[in-house]
Amino acid sequence: MKILGSNKITPVIIQTLKTHPLIIALIAFVVMFSVLIPARFLTPLNFSSILRLFVTYTLFALGPTIVVVIGSLDLSYVGIWMLGGVLLWLLMPILGMLSILVYPLLGLATGLLIGVIQVKVKIPSFILTLSLLVTFAGLAAWLAGGVSRPVREYAFITAPLIPHLPTAFLWSIPIIIAAVFIMKRTRIGTYLYAIGSNEEGAGLAGINVDKYKILAFTLSGLLTGIGLIILFQHLGGSAPVELKLGNLVWPLAAIVLGGTPLVGGSGGPHRTALGALTLAVATQGLYLMILLPEVVALLLGLLLVAAIVIGTRGLKGVTIT
Amino acid sequence: MDGSLLEVKGVSKTFDGVVHALDDVTIAVRQNEIVGVVGENGAGKSTLMKILVGVYAPDKGELYYRGRKVPFPKNPKEAAERGISIVYQEKGVIPHLQVYQFLLLGHEDKYVKLSRLQIDKMKKDAREILEEFHVKCDVENFMYELPLSTQKMVEIARAILSVRLEHGDDDVTSIIILDEPTAPLTIEERRGLFSDILEMKKNASFIFVSHIIPEVMEFTDRVHVLRDGKLVAHYDLSKEKITEEDLFRAIVGRESSEYIYKPEVKGVVSEEVVLTVKDLTKNGCYYDISFDLRKGECIGIFGPAGSGKSEIIKTIAGLMSFEGGGLIVRGQKVKADELPHFRLGRGIGYFSGEIGKELFLNWPITKNISIVSIEKILLRMLPVISFNAERKMAEKIVKRLRISAPSVNTDCYSLSGGSKQKVSVGKWLERNPDILLLEDPTIGIDVGAREDIYETALEMKKSGISMILVSDDPKEYSMLCDKIMFIKDGRIQKVLSPEEFGKVMAA
Amino acid sequence: MARQLLSQERLRRNVTTVGPMVAVIAIIAGFQAINPRFLSYHGIVALVNNMSIYLIAACGLTFVIMTGSFDFSVVSILRLAALLCALNIERFGLLVIPLVLLISVGFGFINGLLVAKFNVPSFMATLGVSFAVDGVGLYLVGRRLFIMGGERAETFMALATTRIAGLPSVFYWAMAIWIISTFIALCTPFGRRTYALGGNPIGARLSGINVERHRIYVFMLSGFLSGLAGVLFMAWQGGGSMEIGKHMPVPLFASVVAGGTALTGGVGGPHRTLLGVMIITWSEVGMMMLALPYYIIMVFFGLIAIGMSIATIDRRRIKIIK
Repeated sequence: MKILGSNKITPVIIQTLKTHPLIIALIAFVVMFSVLIPARFLTPLNFSSILRLFVTYTLFALGPTIVVVIGSLDLSYVGIWMLGGVLLWLLMPILGMLSILVYPLLGLATGLLIGVIQVKVKIPSFILTLSLLVTFAGLAAWLAGGVSRPVREYAFITAPLIPHLPTAFLWSIPIIIAAVFIMKRTRIGTYLYAIGSNEEGAGLAGINVDKYKILAFTLSGLLTGIGLIILFQHLGGSAPVELKLGNLVWPLAAIVLGGTPLVGGSGGPHRTALGALTLAVATQGLYLMILLPEVVALLLGLLLVAAIVIGTRGLKGVTIT
Repeated sequence: MDGSLLEVKGVSKTFDGVVHALDDVTIAVRQNEIVGVVGENGAGKSTLMKILVGVYAPDKGELYYRGRKVPFPKNPKEAAERGISIVYQEKGVIPHLQVYQFLLLGHEDKYVKLSRLQIDKMKKDAREILEEFHVKCDVENFMYELPLSTQKMVEIARAILSVRLEHGDDDVTSIIILDEPTAPLTIEERRGLFSDILEMKKNASFIFVSHIIPEVMEFTDRVHVLRDGKLVAHYDLSKEKITEEDLFRAIVGRESSEYIYKPEVKGVVSEEVVLTVKDLTKNGCYYDISFDLRKGECIGIFGPAGSGKSEIIKTIAGLMSFEGGGLIVRGQKVKADELPHFRLGRGIGYFSGEIGKELFLNWPITKNISIVSIEKILLRMLPVISFNAERKMAEKIVKRLRISAPSVNTDCYSLSGGSKQKVSVGKWLERNPDILLLEDPTIGIDVGAREDIYETALEMKKSGISMILVSDDPKEYSMLCDKIMFIKDGRIQKVLSPEEFGKVMAA
Repeated sequence: MARQLLSQERLRRNVTTVGPMVAVIAIIAGFQAINPRFLSYHGIVALVNNMSIYLIAACGLTFVIMTGSFDFSVVSILRLAALLCALNIERFGLLVIPLVLLISVGFGFINGLLVAKFNVPSFMATLGVSFAVDGVGLYLVGRRLFIMGGERAETFMALATTRIAGLPSVFYWAMAIWIISTFIALCTPFGRRTYALGGNPIGARLSGINVERHRIYVFMLSGFLSGLAGVLFMAWQGGGSMEIGKHMPVPLFASVVAGGTALTGGVGGPHRTLLGVMIITWSEVGMMMLALPYYIIMVFFGLIAIGMSIATIDRRRIKIIK
């Protein structure tokens, strides 16, 4: 995309805005908060807080985005975080620094397991991954003896490098790029979009649907696992052992807000990143304005429902339960 | 058969051990020819084609390529390697892919470099083939953005491209299967498609699966006729002199004498109008449809596939909305986008032969029959169901329609196709709507059950229920209808009396 | 293949009908063997206490699942209803009950509206509503713990704590509600329509059922029963905070599924849910008697949820499962 003159950029910008209306909302939020509470919003501390939230939402949501593209749901990410955290604590004395690899490996194994069960036994992914989440949470609590177990050896991962720019953010960039690359520039990505768009047609066109669905879930788990290498430390260096549904919801919100429809076929990690950024800005801004977390959650919930309603308006007549 | 390029012999396929989709079918395709495969809905055409491209595996049968026996392809890619590809009747398009992605779907391995797709090269090749086939669209459009006819053209280009990519060898003659390709096309596009096909005939063969007899007659060299899974006729159009009616009869399998109009059977039609259809229009489906339906009358809407008959009846049923014109029922105007339950409230019931669409298969007969007539089985004034009344209602119907089932509490899943249909009809018999819409009411049912259903329909007609019939079986029209409207390209061409209709069909 | 499908179907039917009953018997027998005090007077009271509130809430959830949807807001509405009672009992007396129930139905109505009219997937819609409900709760109550006191509170609590034949009245309320729910499901047009909606939405429409309206009614019913469960909870416990029902969502869902009500909709019902609630709550009691830590119980519930979901899904109907 050579920029020879401003008239080359404008149509591209307008086209992008049309297909990604969320950008307008994002800009609106930024402007709104800057005008209403400049003293609290336009500070370097806030900037870094927004980015920190962004990292949390994005790294949890990238993997599940891939599964949403094929029209399914993957709710296991919190479970991988919790169980992985405990396994990490257990393995640290034995494997030392290599133990962090437990995350990508657990993620890979979990994704593979989910994919195979989903495809072979045909359980709806929502129930399957939710149940797996609960099981992992229980396992984690059991192995940890009911108490959250911190692991301090990885503090260096998020040690500050550039002032006011969370290091985790820097680490997250290559992961995001990798996810986008997979979905947009490889055969796997094309096939996954095809399956999400018309699973029957994709099969008729010769795509091995079962194989690629399993691949989607495996990738999801793997990406989550890799992201957790950063996220684990980013979120305090210890995973909880109690399941709080709140942790589950916000990454999903980022996906939906970003514009990847739950029926699949379009959207993708780039959209999720956008959604995560918007959500982070909105959350921070609202919190600084209102200072009551419950009310913020309520407002964000309303925002989310509004986004879904607007997004699914075009699907009138399709009954989604 | 000499000089045959591809031959399938004795192919049989059953689904679920019950439905005989194909029974010992043999067809052959020769070099550079267009072969037609025709038959009613459910005759087995699509199943046969899916076997040829590897989507299904046959239970029995042999495949010969240029005289040599070969195994059936295990998947569409293998079929393409042998030179066979298909354009599906429906569900072939993947809406969220861009045109170039869809065109090359399945063949990305030719464009992959270090796990990265060479998108520019893909777009270039895509543009070239679209130009070759005069398809006007941008390769970067999403498939859902294209009009239906353009989508179909892209699908056809994709089929041809599949073969070229998988087997770049000129030695292999491609065989392209077109499954009901012309439905979404306009007249000019059909013309264009057929002239392109005739051009391509020089280095390819085509299997043209269709319902539309005039097209089959005009463009195919030989025709195979399937009925109920069996091959019943084979005509060589270049050698034999065959009329459209000959083909019709082979497809439907009826004697001309059965088209005789029997007025005394049908009962009297009153003067009272129950439904007025005025200038009903839906772009792309039907235009300016107008007629009146009287009490006790049965009107048939007859026409080839794609003529709009199905859309019209679905619109009246509330399953589709209309754009122009109006519907008046019981003196009240009907809203364009009302849902079916409102139509039922107005006295319009809809019954489709697609089993399972409106039956609750995991329910027993009793519940299926009572669901549309629940008010009738309630206890006095209370909103409580009387199981006794429900059972009696079902027993009455089962007896009247001679439904063969172990008991009224049997789940509909285990009933035969004919019995299921009877349960559906039975529930409407009980409900007694003012108007009953029948779409393909006897599809896939055995003769005995069919007769029972006709008898019931005539009874309902005599008792004052008005009906509209849409079907592929001319006999049904003759048996049930007082008036038959002939539809083509979405417009009423003429209105025939059953006598006139019988003459046209028998000639 | 039809034979295979029919026998698969028969197997599925048997598992879902007989399975839960066998499970209940096994649980009673098993725990009784391990700890003979399981079926003692105190043991039975414990079983009954645990079961009652769950049963009421699970009946509401059952109706929603029968239509093929999901309701995440049950516990939140229960919690809010309970707390609203505690907050307002002095001011309104027993009038607080119909007011709270009205509010609960209102939230159910919102759920139904989002799912039926706006086509929001039910788990998202109800999750969103549960956030809203919790938000209201946090605003009103914060982190405070309430314990009811005073004359009006006494009357209120008598509703649930009066002993009849040795068991608390809340149990009788639960059984009455269960009987009424079962009756509604099996013997009324409303129940028939609910099964129809879940079993075949297109068929339901063609049979004259106003699908959108009925879905809303079902969610309203669920809201009502959730609220009722909350009211009785507060009457029985006499106090609480925003921590009420923290551990409820998963076991609640598991009890509906364990009873044999399939997620695909159209089958099961409140009569089945009784068994499911027995399985879940009684095994909870039994495991606590064995002093098993709570998280193991959670794993157990998670596995039951998966297992019964697998067993009950009607594979004939769904070709493409996402």
